Amino acid sequence: MRDYVYPSVFFAYFYFFLLMVGALFFFVRTCRDGYWGSRSEEAKYRMLVDEEEINLHRGDQDEQK
Amino acid sequence: MQLEASINRPGEIPVSPAIRANESLHEDLTAKWFLISSISYFFIVGIVALAIAAKFVWPQLLGTIPYLSYGRLRPLHVNGMLFGWLLAADMGLSFYLVPRLCGVKLWSERLGLATVGLWNAIILSAVVSTLMGWNQGLEYAELPLPLDIAVVVAWVMFGINIFGTVATRKYTQMYVSIWYTLGTILWTAFVYLTGNFAVLFATGVNQANLNWMYVHNAVGLIFTPVGLALAYYFIPKSSNSPLHSHKLSMIGFWSLAFVYVWTGAHHMIHGPISQWLQTISIVFSVMLLIPVWAVVYNFFATMRGQWDQMRNNVPLKFLMTGVVFYLLTCFQGPMHSLRSVNAIVSKTDWIPGHAHMAVLGAFSFFAIAGCYYTVPRIFRKTLHSEALANWSYWLFLIGGVGFFVTLWLGGFWQGWQWNNPAIPFIDTVIALQPVWLVRFFSGVLMFGGIVAFAYNILATMIGTERQPSQ
Repeated sequence: MRDYVYPSVFFAYFYFFLLMVGALFFFVRTCRDGYWGSRSEEAKYRMLVDEEEINLHRGDQDEQK
Repeated sequence: MQLEASINRPGEIPVSPAIRANESLHEDLTAKWFLISSISYFFIVGIVALAIAAKFVWPQLLGTIPYLSYGRLRPLHVNGMLFGWLLAADMGLSFYLVPRLCGVKLWSERLGLATVGLWNAIILSAVVSTLMGWNQGLEYAELPLPLDIAVVVAWVMFGINIFGTVATRKYTQMYVSIWYTLGTILWTAFVYLTGNFAVLFATGVNQANLNWMYVHNAVGLIFTPVGLALAYYFIPKSSNSPLHSHKLSMIGFWSLAFVYVWTGAHHMIHGPISQWLQTISIVFSVMLLIPVWAVVYNFFATMRGQWDQMRNNVPLKFLMTGVVFYLLTCFQGPMHSLRSVNAIVSKTDWIPGHAHMAVLGAFSFFAIAGCYYTVPRIFRKTLHSEALANWSYWLFLIGGVGFFVTLWLGGFWQGWQWNNPAIPFIDTVIALQPVWLVRFFSGVLMFGGIVAFAYNILATMIGTERQPSQ
């Protein structure tokens, strides 16, 4: 029986290396896309705005009028 | 600031024509079916969990029927809870939150429904294979090879749908939950392929090392990031309070990304692997306190001035209790990776106590909160019973705490006994019987929580329509 220990371990290392490169790439991109600057907090306010619920409230207000 | 102000003045946000016509932009069919199936598995596998907890107390239970032996029921319980309940619920909730955070429809509901179908076929086949004893003999990687391949196919389908949705998003900046969801998809690809395929070609210590890398990262790089994606979405949503700091959440995400993968070898401390590898795993395990504290501080700071909501808000109860369990489990992890502590607790009942606090106490609590939050919304129904939801919370909490604490104490005691060569092994088994009895009754309480939760959610799904003003 052939020993596949090293190919399998190197496969895991290679795959890990690919992910590491991908992680570094996206990490650098976050700097460009403003995640660490003055605009970094916009996303947390935007996520609270729910279009469906806005519409529901607006429908209620229309009914009251 | 403009966005901040717009929260208090609804109506100024551009709303799509479909929404304007009082129709949802989102079909949510995939999310619905994932949630229905995952909650069903939660109930079914809960029965299996009770059976194996009972076998600790009454070993003769279920006789000598091979299909119902401990060795077959335990992998069914582990895989059923991890992949049938938790990961399926996480996927269903991801299908709910990612399109909303991106401001667009899900990329393909048809692909999503095909993913649900394949996932259910995998889980049902896994039930058969584990009961039949068709088992690879590797922790968390028990499923036979054909099912592993099917899991990879289903995961690629899930990934294409989520990445496709994110690629068509309205906003450049992604909220942290999207980062965690995308991270989960990529990390799972790495962790699952290594743990289920590469490991088959390794032998001896290398195989054990790869297996423990997989086991630890199944929790750390699959259930942790997707669980945090849910918590980052549902805590601000349930409390209607903006996250304390998005920048801090990104620090937590990137520190998790660069730290977690190195920690698996701490399962083999004092084992036959190199000392330098053990030391690396210890160092990185302790470094985990950085992402954990970044996450937990952010959630607690978000809740500043909002704690009174915990009285009546069931999803928030589950979420913040889950955060406390997350903090505790992530404090335990680094501490018991230290050589001196590890010498006592390794391989004892402490470890299932720790693992249950992570997977049930933290990540399942996040998923349960997500179900309580989303199901009334996507089915456009009122929650069947707030009282029953409260009951489910207290049953899970009391049962869970009883279970975790009993196993920590029992495990520590067991470890001390094992470190004393004068005590015969069988005496350490007999000594733990009272511990396992408490564990069983704690399990009964937790199963009561599952029943209350599952009944409440399913009754909500088929219940009365929500009135427009609700």
